[in-house]
Amino acid sequence: MAPETISAPFDIYRFSPGKDSAPRYQRYVLEVTPHTPVLTALLKIRAEVDPSLSLRYSCRSSICGSCAMQINSKSRLACETHIGPEVAKHGRVVLEPMRNQPVLRDLVVDQRPFWKEYERVEPHLKLDPRRPMPEGKPTSMSPAQVERFYETPRCIACAACFSACPAVEADPGFPGPMALAKLYRFVVDPRDTATQDRLVKIQPNGLWLCLRCHLCTEACPKDVRPSERIRDLKQLAIEAQGGTETGSRHAIGFKENLKGAGQLNEMKLVRATSGLGGMLGQVGQGIRVWRKKPEIMKRPRRIEGMDELDRIYAALDPPPKEER
Amino acid sequence: MKIAYYPGCVAQESGKELDMATRWVCRNLGIELVEFPNFSCCGSGFVDEANEVLNIAINARNLAIAERAGLDMLTICSTCQGMLTLAQVRMKDPKVKARVDGALKPLGIEYRGSVRVKHLLRVLTEDIGLPALRAKVRRPLNGMKVGAFYGCHLLRPADEMGSESAEEPHSFEDLLAAVGATPVEYRGRVMCCGFPIQFVKPSTASAIAGRQILDAKSHGADAMATPCPLCHLSLDAYQNKAEQEVRTPLGMPVFHLPQVVGLALGASPEELGLSRHLVPTDGALAKVRPAARA
Repeated sequence: MAPETISAPFDIYRFSPGKDSAPRYQRYVLEVTPHTPVLTALLKIRAEVDPSLSLRYSCRSSICGSCAMQINSKSRLACETHIGPEVAKHGRVVLEPMRNQPVLRDLVVDQRPFWKEYERVEPHLKLDPRRPMPEGKPTSMSPAQVERFYETPRCIACAACFSACPAVEADPGFPGPMALAKLYRFVVDPRDTATQDRLVKIQPNGLWLCLRCHLCTEACPKDVRPSERIRDLKQLAIEAQGGTETGSRHAIGFKENLKGAGQLNEMKLVRATSGLGGMLGQVGQGIRVWRKKPEIMKRPRRIEGMDELDRIYAALDPPPKEER
Repeated sequence: MKIAYYPGCVAQESGKELDMATRWVCRNLGIELVEFPNFSCCGSGFVDEANEVLNIAINARNLAIAERAGLDMLTICSTCQGMLTLAQVRMKDPKVKARVDGALKPLGIEYRGSVRVKHLLRVLTEDIGLPALRAKVRRPLNGMKVGAFYGCHLLRPADEMGSESAEEPHSFEDLLAAVGATPVEYRGRVMCCGFPIQFVKPSTASAIAGRQILDAKSHGADAMATPCPLCHLSLDAYQNKAEQEVRTPLGMPVFHLPQVVGLALGASPEELGLSRHLVPTDGALAKVRPAARA
C-alpha cells in the first residue's frame, strides 16, 4: 500500500545580499508523506524545481549539525524535522535562516560569530606542562568524574542554541549557550589545569548575561541542556571567586537576603547587588515605581518557622566541598 | 476546590495587584485559598545559581508544608512554579534526596512527593475548565486584542515542567478566547522578558523586553497579559527603559493573568488594582465593545 501523501506548502526565505534589494519568501508546494524530513523536501525542490536555492547540509542523519535552520520560527535540524506535524500545526512550513548570524544567501548563514565565541572559551584541554601525560598510556577517569560532563560531548555544534538565544540576540558580548556548555566541560574535566583561570575569564560580560530562559535547552537536538550546564558553571564561578561581578553578587545577595525574613527584601537586594553608588543611579526609576507601588520600600513580613530556614542554611550553605 | 495558596514574594510586595486580582477571581470561582504564613520565598532562580541543593531544600520545606495539610499548591508566578517543580524533579535523584533529607529530617520535615504544584493558568484551564469559566463571564472582552506572554519557567525545560508544548503552547490563548478577548499570536510570546539580568546589565534586559513588546504591538496587540509578576515588572514597570532601548514609543498596557479574567467576570478596575500599573490600561479597556443586547 502506498503511503498517504499530503500537499505541503513551503514558504522559503530567499535573499542574496548585494544582489536583492530585500528578502522575499518563495512558495513551493510539494506532495510528500507526513514523515518526510524537511531536508529531503529541500533537496527535492533544489533538484527538481529550483536549482538556485542555497542551503547547507551534509550527513542527513542528525550527526553533522550542518542543516540547522528556523522551521516555523523554531531553530531545528532540517534532517530530523518531519513535515506532517508542521503542516498540521501551521498549515505550511516556513523556512528561514538561523538567527543571530548574518545571512550569506537564502538559508545559509555566516557562522563566524558562533565560532568566534567557541574559540573565546579555549575549548581544548590545558595540561600542566610540568606533568606531561604518560606516553602510550591512556589516562583514566572514574565513572563519577565522567558523569559530570556526560551530556556536553554530545554537542554537534549545529548552533541551534545560538540561534534561539535572546541574550545573544540583544547583546553581542554574550558567548552563547554552546560555548558556555563547552567551557563547563573543560572546567570539570579533572585533567584540565586551567579551571580557576577559565572561571575568572568568563565572568565579565559573559556568564552572568545568561537569562536561564532555557530556550537553548529546548532548541538543542542532542539534549546537551546548555542552560543547566550554565547554571552549574555559575555556582562553580561563585565558589572560585565569590561575588566579584554584578551577576554573582546578585545571586549571593539573593541567597543571603532570605536569611532575614524568609521573604525577599527588594531594597536590601538592590543594595547588595549594585552598592550604594549603583542605588543612586536607580533613584529616578525607583521613585517612578514607588509612586505606584510603595511596597518596594517596605520590609517583608517575617515568615513563621524562620528558625527552620536558618537551620537549613546552616546545614547546606556553603555546600561541603568534598561532595562536589 | 481547596488549594494551598503560594503567592510568592512579588505579589505580596510591589505586585500586590496580582494578589488582589487572584483573590477576587478565586472567590468568584469557588476556589478556596488556604494560606500558610510559614511559606518562604522560592529562591527565584538566583539561590539555585548560588547553591543548588540549598535551593531544593528550601522548596522541599515549602512543599512539605502543603503536603502535611494534604493540599495541592497554587502558584501565580512562573518563576515560583518553575522553582517548586524543579525541586520535585531534582529530588527524584536519590543522591540529591539524601542530602535534602539530611538537612530537613532533623527538623521533623520530610517531603514525600505527593503535592501537585499548579499555576493559576492550569487551575483555570484544567480544574475549573473553560466551559465553566465561559459560563461565568459577565462582561466579555470582545474587541480587545491581547498578546499572551507566558514567561519562561511556566514552560521550560518542557520535559521537567510538563503539561504542554513549550514552543507552541496554547492554554493561555485558549483562556483569553474563553473570556472574549482576541488572542494575538507572535513569536515573542514564548521568549524571555529580560528580568533575570535587570540588575546585571539593565540595557540588555530592557532591550530584550522591548523586542517582545514591539513584537506583540506589531502583531496588533492592544495589551499583553502575563502569568508572571517578574515578567510584569520587566514589561510594565520598566517599559520606559525598554522604549529607550528599542527607540520606539510602546505604550503597551500589560495585565496580570487574573486581571484579564477578573475584568471579564465583572470585577472593577479598583478591585483588580489596575491603577498600580506604570502603563495605564485605559486604552486597552476602551477597546472592549459593549455586549450586544440579548
